Amino acid sequence: MIELKRVSFAYPRSCEDAIKNASLVFGPGVTAVIGPNGSGKTTLLKLAALLYRPRAGEVLIDGVSFWSMPDAAKVAFRRKVVYVHEKPIMLRGSVADNVAYGLRVRNLSSEDVAARVDEALEALGIKSLAREKAQALSIGQQQRVALARALAVRPKSLLLDEPTANLDKSGREEFMELIVGLAERGTCIAVATHDRLLALKLMDRAVIVENGTATLIENPEEASLV
Amino acid sequence: MWQEVSEVVARSLLVSGTATVLAASWSIPTAMFLAEKESAFRRVLLDVSNTLVGVPTVLIGLILYLLLSRSGPLGFFGLLYTPASIVAGEAILITPLIVSLSASVLREKRAEVWEMALSMGATERQASATMVAESLPRLLTAVLLGFNRAIGELGVALMLGGNIKGFTRVMTTAIALEVSRGEFELALTLGGVLLVVVFGITAIVRKVGKAG
Ligand SMILES: Nc1ncnc2c1ncn2[C@@H]1O[C@H](COP(=O)(O)OP(=O)(O)O)[C@@H](O)[C@H]1O
Ligand SMILES: [Mg+2]
Repeated sequence: MIELKRVSFAYPRSCEDAIKNASLVFGPGVTAVIGPNGSGKTTLLKLAALLYRPRAGEVLIDGVSFWSMPDAAKVAFRRKVVYVHEKPIMLRGSVADNVAYGLRVRNLSSEDVAARVDEALEALGIKSLAREKAQALSIGQQQRVALARALAVRPKSLLLDEPTANLDKSGREEFMELIVGLAERGTCIAVATHDRLLALKLMDRAVIVENGTATLIENPEEASLV
Repeated sequence: MWQEVSEVVARSLLVSGTATVLAASWSIPTAMFLAEKESAFRRVLLDVSNTLVGVPTVLIGLILYLLLSRSGPLGFFGLLYTPASIVAGEAILITPLIVSLSASVLREKRAEVWEMALSMGATERQASATMVAESLPRLLTAVLLGFNRAIGELGVALMLGGNIKGFTRVMTTAIALEVSRGEFELALTLGGVLLVVVFGITAIVRKVGKAG
């Protein structure tokens, strides 16, 4: 579980904070991160993903302050969290190679890698693409590959940036089913999205981001925010 | 004549190839360092490298000549007028080119691939390796362009090598000499070979560039 405590973050050579004094918990179930373009959703997710170091405040993972850990300890904690970019980032090589990436850096045996890659491809319905060159696929297909790559490492927390932006209607529905299933099995999921319908259907709680200020709303239906 | 041509061509390829390998061995790690993160020091170093890309070859030749000549500070190595001095000079000459091109490739890949790799659980070392692997086709391109500049340059080969027949004579110095002697047949033959080599490399660069 990831918790932000009074976190502020500014991009280099920018005088204004992109995230201002945010305190939130990304708990089990689905947290929808909602806000207009440029409000700070991506920045917030990357802070939670332990990729950006805050200018002030703390990011706690399973109760431990990540950025005060010794470097050697960081990898093990970072491996509990996966962030999936809005624009999928494909490595050279096949779809299977891409999905195997997180498993290979964890030095899993090749049998385990093969089995888990298979399972993840199956879950995303892209088994037939396994041998295709990942960089040659359509963006929608690449987004599935990126998601399969994330699922293959079975993260405790999964942070998805606009995951349905390039999917069609049936793709969206499959995606929602997948997310609900993961959430039921205890994964903490955060989804940054414009898609109100998606947010409404999936979320257990909402984080509203506006101009760098993030507010957690535990009962979004009651607050009638969406 | 053909024996002389093939000997000069072989020496050119060997000397410039060695210089390129040498230059790549320190230029790519330097580029990795420069691309690793933003800092004032790295920015200045990159600016210097970018400025030096187009440095005239005679200038490098002159400076190294002064360093390597008998009375110069490195004179005791006795390297002047040996193939080794051409190798050293060309390696230095093409270093800024390889550093600048590689750094720009790596910087471009860095932001996104680096983040993805770390988030997928890579250690920093693994993430660096992934970044280099992803940039490989275009790094190779940078190195090949360095080779093209090395094999086609005259200033360093002439001033440091001295164009000694059978020892330091390479394609460009041979062409210059033959033209000055009015021996156009040999000059044109060597020029043709040089053109084929450079075009061949350029074709490979194009093909590899597309893959990356
Ligand atoms: N790499 C960057 N450098 C400087 N400013 C950035 C960078 N990325 C985003 N920003 C700025 O930070 C703010 C928040 O951006 P972002 O988190 O991407 O918003 P969102 O994901 O909600 O669209 C925006 O004002 C944006 O211009
Ligand atoms: Mg965004």
